[in-house]
Amino acid sequence: MKKHIFHIFILLVAFSSCEKDDICIEATTPMLVIRFYDINNPKTIKSVNSLTVWALNKDSIYENKAIDSITIPLNLNENSTVYKFQSATFIDEISFNYNRNDIFVSRSCGYKTIFENLSIQTSNNWIKDNLINNSTIENETSAHINIYH
Amino acid sequence: MKQAHILIFIISLFLSIGGFSQQKTDTIKLKENYGLRVGIDLSKPTISFIDRDKKGLELVGDIRFLRNYYAAVELGYEDVISTEDYLNFTSKGSFIKIGVNYNAYQNWAGMTNEIFFGGRYGFSFLSQTLNNYSPNVNGTYFEGELNDVNTEYKDLTAHWLEFVLGMKVETFKNVYLGTQISIKKMISTKEPENFKNLYIPGFNRVFLNDMGIGFNYTISYLIPIIKKNK
Repeated sequence: MKKHIFHIFILLVAFSSCEKDDICIEATTPMLVIRFYDINNPKTIKSVNSLTVWALNKDSIYENKAIDSITIPLNLNENSTVYKFQSATFIDEISFNYNRNDIFVSRSCGYKTIFENLSIQTSNNWIKDNLINNSTIENETSAHINIYH
Repeated sequence: MKQAHILIFIISLFLSIGGFSQQKTDTIKLKENYGLRVGIDLSKPTISFIDRDKKGLELVGDIRFLRNYYAAVELGYEDVISTEDYLNFTSKGSFIKIGVNYNAYQNWAGMTNEIFFGGRYGFSFLSQTLNNYSPNVNGTYFEGELNDVNTEYKDLTAHWLEFVLGMKVETFKNVYLGTQISIKKMISTKEPENFKNLYIPGFNRVFLNDMGIGFNYTISYLIPIIKKNK
């Protein structure tokens, strides 16, 4: 038994210190998920034929995309983000207002920001209506906002 | 459940060794020192000299209470700044570890060197200060700005168990150089709100599975109180 104590100890050291926690694998700050629906038939998903999306004074995230849902990041340093949504030649401006809450995730991931009390204001050039499904953005599993066009 | 297994493991080690330690007594009478041994960990001041983010002090002591058994204690404080990818925090606090060492080394007559293993119960009273962080976000469209928050979380505690293995060598009369490494397993912690005890004085870095490792390198002096026949 005495002979083996050292070996057992080495094994313990080997197994105890191997667990990796310096690579971030958890979900961090979520993005806003938007789905596009048909204004005449609000249950039906309707893609935008040529969608271009950009935040004010920034490059576009989506450019001339035929798409029925998008994920866009919110500004995590301010309580509002203004986006421009262009469909064909029509441009609408949407401002997203929210409160921010920083949640601890882990050693390697640090903190993530979740957004609460989301409200939106939009112009109505091609966007006819909108619906907030979930005013708290803490994951990306389902659409937070429906846009009808 | 896991903790119970570890405890049973440590106890069973002690029991199995106990069975081997019965030896025939020698007819020559030799006096051996039984006393209080006090010392200091040399690694902590060395590390704080190299790395200014790590400050600490650790005092060690033990008393031989049976031929091969020593009651041991380590106590000290630490003030350590840790930098991670998205945050920076300071852990400050004091700790105490108490337990027993079993000397498994068969000394030649008159020598008192040790190769020992043992167990400890550790306790730390600490505070964590989140110095700054930047929220983690995928992509670079919007990036999280650095927030200098300086939030202090006080009155935190941690309890843990350690398995230690080490050696002590008498280099001059009654002066010992020693080293030990330890594997730690957290029992319970009082965690800060919306943060985590990622580093605990005395426990060091807390790994994901609540394990920790540590070592020290000590110089200690034996205050000979009692001389006993071997």
